[in-house]
Amino acid sequence: MNTPLQEPDDLRQLAGEYVLGTLSAARRREVAQRLPGDAALRAAVHEWEDRLLPLTALADPVEPSAQLWQRIEGGLAAAPAVAPPRRRPVSGGGWWNSLGLWRGLAGTGFAAAALLAAVLVTRQDTAPAVPRFMVVLVAPQDKAPGWVIQASDSRQLRLIPLGTVEVPQEKSLQFWTKGDGWSGPVSLGLVKPGQPLQVPLDKLPPLQPNQLFELTLEPLAGSPIGRPTGPIQFIGRAVKVL
Amino acid sequence: MPMAPDDDTSFDYNAALAGCARGDRGALRSLYDQESRRLLGVALRIVRQRQLAEDVVQEAFMNIWTRAASFDALRGSGRGWVYSVVRNLALNAVRDAAREVPVEEDVMEALDAQASAQAHQAMADAFELQASLGRLGDCLARLDPARRNCILYAYLDGCSHSEIAQRLDSPLGTVKAWIKRGLGALRECMA
Repeated sequence: MNTPLQEPDDLRQLAGEYVLGTLSAARRREVAQRLPGDAALRAAVHEWEDRLLPLTALADPVEPSAQLWQRIEGGLAAAPAVAPPRRRPVSGGGWWNSLGLWRGLAGTGFAAAALLAAVLVTRQDTAPAVPRFMVVLVAPQDKAPGWVIQASDSRQLRLIPLGTVEVPQEKSLQFWTKGDGWSGPVSLGLVKPGQPLQVPLDKLPPLQPNQLFELTLEPLAGSPIGRPTGPIQFIGRAVKVL
Repeated sequence: MPMAPDDDTSFDYNAALAGCARGDRGALRSLYDQESRRLLGVALRIVRQRQLAEDVVQEAFMNIWTRAASFDALRGSGRGWVYSVVRNLALNAVRDAAREVPVEEDVMEALDAQASAQAHQAMADAFELQASLGRLGDCLARLDPARRNCILYAYLDGCSHSEIAQRLDSPLGTVKAWIKRGLGALRECMA
């Protein structure tokens, strides 16, 4: 959490005023930017949203113009939805040393990042802090995007699911990274399917362009040897975002 | 005032959002058919201009379409999420407008008169519809009228602190305190 020792009451108050709508434009943006990485604040906001929801019944319904749906549908055509993530079939061994795979992915990752950057901008309620790095993790087989990594500073990053993925029983998804020149990949922890994860990067060198990230299928408690042992599920490389 | 006839609880919001996440346009359309009238009503109360309200609802449905995959049913209700998307966009629109576009004096007066009339009606409605508000209605009824007014002006009409202060003819600091204590009391009451 980036705001140390915020009292629960202050947090609830901030969440309440955010949902109520009485914060200034600047404060609203601040809260909206904090939300993706601050689970406690997000929980407090969800509580207030559900608590006050019945009040929406006090606004009289208004019949939309006939064009409204057409405008929405037209917008969908202009901005195709991201392909939904699917469970990846198990890939063969030796992926780690397949330079061709990395090079291919770096290219497709870049294209996907450009597409996703556009999607991410529109999906924020207010202008987000521009991430310094973005990574789109795609399935190796069909390049379907499954997760996005955003790093708005070099000290922590957020892994954001674009959907849910199925993980077999007794298995876990493990999150790894490797920079150019590192001797091997480093674990960033286990990932719950469909749930965002915030990772401090204290013990690693700063993020670098082209740094590799991936999710592999591992035993329930994670890889026993500190290196990926199972098939890669999603993979991508860091792209610097201006 | 009767409730909207299509106010049923059988609609499966989570299923519709899951459909959107899969890229099923029919699911988005069903959500639109179910909720667009009420969402437009909510947006219009906040932004107070018909065209802007439709813009907000359009953008909201685009957002719902692209973000449905990120909705987590474990963390809140699907219906609540849909309304929060609309309310956030509407609030952003009026807060940004307040900051960037100075409203002309006569337009301001007209808006004010219109808003006051609406707000007045909202107060009457609030009591008339209290049964439909459930626990929230009971807890609102226990608040001082001033605090209750503050919360309804803010949530329904998208009023800022200073707009509420103007409407209630009270100092800004007092209004801030009313809202703070009102929210605290509501939370305790509904816990």
